[in-house]
Amino acid sequence: MKYGKLGALGAGALLVLSACSSTATTAPGSSTGAGSSTGTGGAPGAWCVGGTVKIGTELPMSGGETANGVPTENGVELLVAQVNAAGGVAGCKLATNVQDDALNGVHDPQTGAKNMQTLVADPAVIGVVGPFNSGVAEAEIPISNGAGLLMCSPANTANAVTQPPEGDTYRSAHPDKISYIRTATPDSIQGPSAADYLYKDLGKTSVYIIDDTETFGVGVGDSFEAEFKKLGGTVVKRDSAPKSTTDYTPLFTAAAAMNPQGVYLAGTTPTGMGLALKQGRTVSGMETIPFVGPDGVADLGPGGTQGATITIAGAAAANVYGTVGAAHDLATGSTFTADYTTKFGGAPGAYSAAAYACAQIIVASLTKAAATATDLASAREGVRANAVNSANSFNTALGTLSFDKYGDNTKPFISFYKTDMTLDGGKGDWVFVKQESFTDPNAP
Amino acid sequence: MTTKLPRLARPLGIGAIALIVEYLLLGTQQFANALTLGAIYALIALGYTMVYGIVELINFAHGDVFMVGSFLAMWIMTTIFGLTGPVTNLLNLVALLAIVMLATMVGMGLIGMFIERVAYRPLRHAPRLAPLITAIGVSFILQNIIATAFGPSPVNFPQIVPADKFALMGGKIAYLNVFIVIMAVVLMIALQLFVGRTRLGRAMRSTAQDREAAELMGVDINQTIAITFFIAAALAGAGGMVQGLYAGSIKFDLGFFVGLKAFTAAVLGGIGNTTGAAIGGFVIAFVEVYATVIGYTQWSEVAVFTVLILVLVFRPSGLLGQQLGERA
Repeated sequence: MKYGKLGALGAGALLVLSACSSTATTAPGSSTGAGSSTGTGGAPGAWCVGGTVKIGTELPMSGGETANGVPTENGVELLVAQVNAAGGVAGCKLATNVQDDALNGVHDPQTGAKNMQTLVADPAVIGVVGPFNSGVAEAEIPISNGAGLLMCSPANTANAVTQPPEGDTYRSAHPDKISYIRTATPDSIQGPSAADYLYKDLGKTSVYIIDDTETFGVGVGDSFEAEFKKLGGTVVKRDSAPKSTTDYTPLFTAAAAMNPQGVYLAGTTPTGMGLALKQGRTVSGMETIPFVGPDGVADLGPGGTQGATITIAGAAAANVYGTVGAAHDLATGSTFTADYTTKFGGAPGAYSAAAYACAQIIVASLTKAAATATDLASAREGVRANAVNSANSFNTALGTLSFDKYGDNTKPFISFYKTDMTLDGGKGDWVFVKQESFTDPNAP
Repeated sequence: MTTKLPRLARPLGIGAIALIVEYLLLGTQQFANALTLGAIYALIALGYTMVYGIVELINFAHGDVFMVGSFLAMWIMTTIFGLTGPVTNLLNLVALLAIVMLATMVGMGLIGMFIERVAYRPLRHAPRLAPLITAIGVSFILQNIIATAFGPSPVNFPQIVPADKFALMGGKIAYLNVFIVIMAVVLMIALQLFVGRTRLGRAMRSTAQDREAAELMGVDINQTIAITFFIAAALAGAGGMVQGLYAGSIKFDLGFFVGLKAFTAAVLGGIGNTTGAAIGGFVIAFVEVYATVIGYTQWSEVAVFTVLILVLVFRPSGLLGQQLGERA
């Protein structure tokens, strides 16, 4: 009842805000754009109506999600600025159409679906970077598939988003013309990699798993559990606690009685895992054991950033490990990190480089499509067709990327991080431990 | 005055039996958790029940008053006292807790009175639906003020009570849990004494029983109702501070979920009955924790509301029935 009203008000406000925030720059178009690898000059073609096309971003930007969405969106802004400085794409300038799918500070699939319809309806949008959360993607892919608008997600990791049988239900409108690709590693790899890390690297043989009942959390919890048992470890208990939970203490008390050597927080911090970490640590028996989380928990936000895991958990964030479904090391010679810090100050977020890479893919696909495009609609279709084509490979900040027939990255990586509470003047930050590469799960 | 002992014996008896059953089913550790949770629910449920007893209004904004109380306590601790972590000096700790609690209770009491004056008093003679809807509006306003002022993500609450524990009967109990339960019981007893023995308390009971007659007897209705809202909000404020100390983290939508369960507790105990609200709070907390213990965490809320429905079907006036107004 209450949330229906809040949701309606929030969605309405978001629509109004999005209409106000999308900026259209009118550029004269002609420039000497030779030399840059990200932009080409010359007069814009007829397809570039108004001299500008837009890359849409659909990310959770506010409240508890700020630490997730804003640095990611910055990655796109950085590329747009660089391409425009070099003359645009075939003379056509770039702009962004920024959408926020956070409702009351937490990502919301319904808000995301509404935002996707807004982006589809904007004819200047030729590609979208986003979303961040797998549950939101499930609501958005049917819309983008129906409209033929490319979505490149830097962070979605749930298997169900691309892989059959669930993946097929989202692209049922045009099953042979998919419109979704993602750079992040699927949970079928992320969950087991965390299980391997806990069992082999940290040497713990029993674990307590708690998930947040959402698509991503349950999926990564399931894959973690399967692998941990396969290695020979024991799962002493598995609980599901929705994001409305205010008191995790009874759950952890019941689990502590079974003496687990580690805890796996299968979920995201905005849906309660930060609070679970904080309260779980107060239960006797849980004070010093390692807590491991997927990228929803390892947001790589330093202590003090609003909504970051370390900020919420405080001292309880010590001895916490996390996996991120992306490579840590960028392509050799990439100046992304330095460019990001110059433009925005501070280090990039966990998915800034991936969002930058997605934007690079969109720009490269657009450059190719510009040769034969006649109007915005054909430019949009050209971007989609080029990006999802498995025969194409793209030089990005993350290295050479290509995507398989379901839209998954053909070369997935997992990076491991741990918390160090002595950094940042005692506030705490995440530290890179190592990265591993895996084979494409969809390869025949 | 009628003799106190027979009237108290029944609820005390029910309470004692409930506690023993809970302990046997939960074990020491979870029993401590349930008691602490129950104390918080009881403090909020008292506010619901008192307001209903006096003006027959279900104050939907009460859960959010509790939430504002937790933010007020947090603000006092961080901004005025600059507290961030545990306070080790026992004397300092006790003094700080007392001062912050007093300040929070007084502050929230004033806010509660203000809400009543502005939102409910003008509608005192309107059809009963009007103040109900206004209460929902007040709830929205409170939530959004806090969300705008402090942000929508969880805010840390200074954990000034050290997390030390002591062993008791096979479990490890934190001193914080003991403090919470003792404080809640003290407040509840103080409330019972106030309502039963003081002039203002008698005014409250008479207003609840028959407003026109009370007015004719010289009771200042406006003042009485204002004081009721003050006390209800003060108790919710104390509950908010306790919630912050216990959970370590507070959020602008805390009031919705906790308030709903506390409201269930008030109805379970008999809406309008203060002793019932207290018992109801502990029963609801027990049901929640027990559901976790037997492994049905996701069903804990279902269990709570099922208990409510069963009690209302078989005993519509709640476990202890109306007390504040009736029973001469």
